[in-house]
Amino acid sequence: MSRRPRGREERSIVASIGLHATLLGAVVIALFPVVWVFLASLKPKSAIQSSEIALFDQPSLENYRRVLLDTSFPTWFLNSVVVALFTMAIGMAMSATAGYALSRFNFPGKRGLMWLFLITQMFPVAILIVPIYTIMANLGLIDTKASLVIAYCTVAVPFCTWMLRGYFDTIPRDLDEAAAIDGLGPFKTFWYVILPLARPGLAVTAFYTFLTAWGEVAYAIAFTLSDDKLTLGAGLQQFVPQFNPQWDLLTAGAVLIMLPASLVFYFAQKHLVAGLTAGGTKG
Amino acid sequence: MSTPVVFDAASRVYPGSSTPAVDSLDLEIQPGEFLVLVGPSGCGKSTSLRMLAGLEDVTSGAIRIGDRDVTHLRPKDRDIAMVFQSYALYPHLTVGENMGFALKIAGAPKSEIQARVADAAKVLDLEPYLDRKPKALSGGQRQRVAMGRAIVREPQVFLMDEPLSNLDAKLRVSTRTQIAALQRRLGITTVYVTHDQVEAMTMGDRVAVLKDGVLQQVAAPLELYDRPANAFVAGFIGSPAMNLGTFRVEDGAALVAGARVPLPRATTAALTEGEVVLGFRPEALEMVPAGTEGAFPVEVLVAEELGSEAFLYGTLAAELKDPQLVARVAPRSVPEKGSTVHFRILPERLHAFSVSTGEALPTS
Amino acid sequence: MTLTTTAGPGHEPGPARRAKRGRGRRLLDRHWYAWAMVLPTVLVLGALVLYPLFQGVFQSFTDLNETNSRDVICTKTLGGGEECAENPDRAQFVGLDNYVDLLTGERGDFWLLFVNTVVWTVACVFLHYTIGLGLAVLLNRAFRGRSLYRVLLIVPWAVPAFVSAFAWKFLFNPRFGLINSLLTDLGLDPVDWFNHRWTAMFAAIVTNVWLGVPFMMVAILGGLQSIPSDLYEAAEMDGASAWQRFRHVTLPGLRPVSSTVILLGTIWTFNMFPIIFFVTGGEPAGETEILVTGAFRAAFEGLRNYSLAATYGVLILSMLVVYAAMYRRVLRSKGEVW
Repeated sequence: MSRRPRGREERSIVASIGLHATLLGAVVIALFPVVWVFLASLKPKSAIQSSEIALFDQPSLENYRRVLLDTSFPTWFLNSVVVALFTMAIGMAMSATAGYALSRFNFPGKRGLMWLFLITQMFPVAILIVPIYTIMANLGLIDTKASLVIAYCTVAVPFCTWMLRGYFDTIPRDLDEAAAIDGLGPFKTFWYVILPLARPGLAVTAFYTFLTAWGEVAYAIAFTLSDDKLTLGAGLQQFVPQFNPQWDLLTAGAVLIMLPASLVFYFAQKHLVAGLTAGGTKG
Repeated sequence: MSTPVVFDAASRVYPGSSTPAVDSLDLEIQPGEFLVLVGPSGCGKSTSLRMLAGLEDVTSGAIRIGDRDVTHLRPKDRDIAMVFQSYALYPHLTVGENMGFALKIAGAPKSEIQARVADAAKVLDLEPYLDRKPKALSGGQRQRVAMGRAIVREPQVFLMDEPLSNLDAKLRVSTRTQIAALQRRLGITTVYVTHDQVEAMTMGDRVAVLKDGVLQQVAAPLELYDRPANAFVAGFIGSPAMNLGTFRVEDGAALVAGARVPLPRATTAALTEGEVVLGFRPEALEMVPAGTEGAFPVEVLVAEELGSEAFLYGTLAAELKDPQLVARVAPRSVPEKGSTVHFRILPERLHAFSVSTGEALPTS
Repeated sequence: MTLTTTAGPGHEPGPARRAKRGRGRRLLDRHWYAWAMVLPTVLVLGALVLYPLFQGVFQSFTDLNETNSRDVICTKTLGGGEECAENPDRAQFVGLDNYVDLLTGERGDFWLLFVNTVVWTVACVFLHYTIGLGLAVLLNRAFRGRSLYRVLLIVPWAVPAFVSAFAWKFLFNPRFGLINSLLTDLGLDPVDWFNHRWTAMFAAIVTNVWLGVPFMMVAILGGLQSIPSDLYEAAEMDGASAWQRFRHVTLPGLRPVSSTVILLGTIWTFNMFPIIFFVTGGEPAGETEILVTGAFRAAFEGLRNYSLAATYGVLILSMLVVYAAMYRRVLRSKGEVW
């Protein structure tokens, strides 16, 4: 009886089963709430709130039909898309330029800026709502999408800047110098040389800024008033009256909300590890 | 057509440091000359080059390219091209785009860019690779792309920062001659930085030796070899290195391991101390029978037989800077390890330096 | 002393002045592009974070609330004009009263919230990190289907916080939630999750852990990949077991990543608003509030007490600043460059 000796990179069967079992368990936990909400969204209201629980119970798309046709959901959805895309574009532009400056230049005020970023993360957003509301009101921006975009940028930009700085740090400075010799100023270097090389970092930034804006609730409730200006986060609160949450609408809405997020996620995911690594390893 | 380059007392002090990285460098580079900056790591050679490139601020002094003062100009306004040690090729551009990038930025017409890139690619044997990304090239090919990027520019000055240090030994030797030949053909003033004195000796029209930010000597390679200005240059240039040792002087002769090595009158006249640093290259030693005038005994530690020549490494019972002494001997009849042989210094090839300053003392 | 008579039109500025102006110009010349690149960020953060922050610090020393926020009261006169008088009840400077009231428990339940916040933060960050580390280590090996696992495990990150809050609240629902139904199937008693402080807190922590593990996992995975593999090979040559390699190669190699994500994770969790707000809503009877939600309620519920909310904010900020400074010092003493 001859047994092939186990290679260095091979695992015993037991270890292999253990590995896959653990990961499968984790995947089930990771996906279950999402799947469960999806399954619930297919059930009629009475079945959702029944204590007899079944995977399927008279499945239909009735909830989706009602959310899409009988409520302002499509408007909110569109508003959210606009707000999230603008937040993404502006947030990326701000954090990429600032991150590049922090990565490459030693300028007076650099330390202060780093502190500003850290402090920004520490001061509770919930408390900033009132003063920011006042500022927005003074600027006449209340009940506009611009107010939300600006507010979300303040939330997302510090982390994104810090992360992109880490990513830019991994791009050799020689390239900047070669570009300088080739006749590029700092802005052109940034645009033609650094940005094309920072794709993973930018993908994470895009993902992060989009998500920050997409499902945010507190600012959305505070800054938008009229029904046609609401974003998803604010609008969906209408399905949750004080004592009687409308789970049928809520579950269908939640599934619809997750669709664009998953789309962005799908495009960003393969860069996430590489993009975040650089930011993480640099303090 | 070619352009001279002048460093005029140019200094660079890094913020937060009190000693300058480059201390008041005065250097005139002739039009079309191939000048090599050489020195041990940290000597300021790369900093000097980067000051010329505009990548490093000039703290004081001036730098001129042609008759233009470029001291405070941005790199792009200096009309220079540079080959980096890491090559610094843009990973997202193809070989052709890398080479034509500077022209594209400068707004040159597409047809001209193409023509010039094609010319350079032809010179450097890069034609089959123009559409590849740098990632898909070997080290030697990348090095040539970096060269090509510089050539395409047709600049007034080429700057090269250790461009061969990432190549393997064999490729380095062949590329060395290619670069030197190319430079001669193009006739563009070139400043080349290396830590390898063999590169310096073989490539440069003139070689500038730096140490601790201070220029030690600028001269043609043989001049450096034959007439080093001080003990540092003497020890740095040449391989194997020159033997340097400090010896006591009595009655116009240095005492080397019991033997009396007579010093030229000019040397003794210039001596201010009772000691002298003597320098003699491996080939300046002559094996002689014991008892010859001025001969000293050496115990053989290692014999390196190279076929065309041989080197003996031995110890000398006196203070040498490097405790070992190297001698070149005839090949194929090398004394055995552990035996004792006697050497004499050829008087016309003896170098003497001051113990306190290290400056060369006259020997004739 | 000789007078120079050849002073042409426009005197040369004195050397000192010229040097000073030259310095300013040189600074601007050298740094203008760096400044230009950070300017938008500085403006937005300055206006919307720094300014309110200073304002908040100021307000925390007053008794500002909804009713006394106006400086002047204007009344329409008969002629259509407006007459304004100073508001007699306008907010006043009250010194440290807010802080004293809060810290002594005179108003609000500061210490209850504080304990909740600490429990919440420590539990969440600990679980985020350990679970994230475990999954990352598993995913850092080569095996079939690894990238699929990775994508599926990151999915919770893509779910908006309030959606996951609702999803989990739905699962934890005492009446028709899946978790209680499973418990009953196993022959256990269903739990009235939101009727008890620690069970409610448990539900919130589970939600937040579910939401936060992917970020940690991805960050740590990146850190693992940046550890050179020859270190593992060297450790193996030295006879280190799998556990010893983890202990002496993996963990030290992860330290730069760990130190940053733990600091950030702590700050984020400390201020994590939506999960507590939507999952427990403070139930039962405010016993699961954390400091941030408490501050929010002070500012937005009942009589809007801006000064009290600001006091909460300043206390939270100072706690985090102290924490960050201490954290930094500990890292430094261990020789970490940060």
